[in-house]
Amino acid sequence: MADVTTDRTTPRQVYFSSFCPSRQGIVGTLAVFAFLVLWQLAPSLGWVNGRFTSRPTEVFLAAIEIFRDDDFFFHARVSLTEFVAGFALAIIVSIPLGVLLGTSKIARYLIDPPLMALYIAPTLVLLPIMVIWLGIHMAPKIAVVFLGAVFPIVLNTMAGMSEADPRMLRMARSFGATKFDIFARVLVPGSLPALLTGIRLAVGRAVLGVVVGELFVSQAGIGYQLNLYGSAMRIDRLLVYAIVVSAFGYTLTVLVLSVENKVRDWRSK
Amino acid sequence: MIDLFYRRQAMILGTLSMIGLLVFWQIAVDSGFINPFFISTPSQVWAEFLVQLEDGQVAANVGATLYCFAWSMGLATVVGIVLGMLAGWFSDVEAALEPFIWFKYSAPTVAFYPLFVAWLGYGTPTIIAIAFLFALTPIYANTLSGIKNIDRDLAKAARSFGARPLDVFLQVALPGSVPVMMAGLRLGVGRALTGVVVAELFGANAGLGYAITYYGQLMQTTKMMVSIAIVILLGVILTQILSYFETKTDAWRVDSGPLI
Repeated sequence: MADVTTDRTTPRQVYFSSFCPSRQGIVGTLAVFAFLVLWQLAPSLGWVNGRFTSRPTEVFLAAIEIFRDDDFFFHARVSLTEFVAGFALAIIVSIPLGVLLGTSKIARYLIDPPLMALYIAPTLVLLPIMVIWLGIHMAPKIAVVFLGAVFPIVLNTMAGMSEADPRMLRMARSFGATKFDIFARVLVPGSLPALLTGIRLAVGRAVLGVVVGELFVSQAGIGYQLNLYGSAMRIDRLLVYAIVVSAFGYTLTVLVLSVENKVRDWRSK
Repeated sequence: MIDLFYRRQAMILGTLSMIGLLVFWQIAVDSGFINPFFISTPSQVWAEFLVQLEDGQVAANVGATLYCFAWSMGLATVVGIVLGMLAGWFSDVEAALEPFIWFKYSAPTVAFYPLFVAWLGYGTPTIIAIAFLFALTPIYANTLSGIKNIDRDLAKAARSFGARPLDVFLQVALPGSVPVMMAGLRLGVGRALTGVVVAELFGANAGLGYAITYYGQLMQTTKMMVSIAIVILLGVILTQILSYFETKTDAWRVDSGPLI
């Protein structure tokens, strides 16, 4: 089950606090800067058609316009509601399920194959059927977010529970710990980092679910706006919305990652 | 017999639960609990699968999806491994790529779907581009960490026997990182398939994702379920193939501590 946790870039933290910039930081900043300059200049030099690529300055101006008056907060609220509802449902369902599967071997053998199949398979293909079941409002997006988020959390909680240190378990048992004690004192703290890994992986899939769901069919939301400006060829506005979604996913991922690292440190003490 | 049961417990119970799920689905609809319009039944889906197999729809759709899949996965493998090797060996390259990879990692690629349509038009090129971006990150990240986390002792030993940096790279770093790369490829396969099918949901004129949307809009659940089932099966099969290669190359693994 260790393969579930492999889906992450090397756990390198992003350091914001480094006041004296490292060589790495300088090179990274330079690369981004070079990219922006190239992007700005390429249309004027006639290398690419500016209509298709827009420019950083145009995107910046479009961002100001959008935040001022484009019902941005209305659409953001719709998408955020879908995200939060689906994710909360996923957490409520997946943690107990993960605990059950992690502690009972029979349950694991029974539920693991369908679970694995759905974890591997693109759950987003269920979107059209969700639309038939639930209509075109928020409900199918919540369902898709739920489906995207639930499996990584279940599988990682399960892995965390079932990969508890056997020496710890034996020690707890020989000191007379009851089953509940073992659960509360050994299994839960032991599986917390794996659970957080699951949540981190779920964040990405959930954000993807919201966007795909709204692009597919919707009447409001960030994905709706993406579709609108995409078909109107307003690349600048399209990019603003795409960047907002990315920033949201990025912030959340980094946040969970930092909690994860804290928990790992705390556990190893 | 009992002994056999215990040895094969995982497989037997797993198969039983799959069969149980299908039977439950069939019974739930047959007994009138659920309207078959919403979910169809396994027997209808099977019958429809045979029909679609006969008239060549299955072959056409699977072929179109696999064509895009092969292109995007091939591109992602080449680009991901080359970039990963460069970034793993030269720390400046890694630093320069880092912001873009982080952005790529956290951005839902599909958000840029309309942009790709504007650049490449509807259809195959856009699908390949989206799926390529889906699959790129895990392949790059795993190659990078595989090359970076080479066994220091082995590298030192090679150097003290007079190996040049190129030798260390070819003889130590590369073989040592193959298992991690394979893990990256396995993750990439799943993501590439997701990318192809999702992109096909939006705009294509062939492929499994296209069939799902098409029949979805006609509200023909049974026909839609055929393609959904095929996609899920394809995901499992492709990942299993890669898992097989992963265990094959696992013997090459140089123990380099807890990777990722």
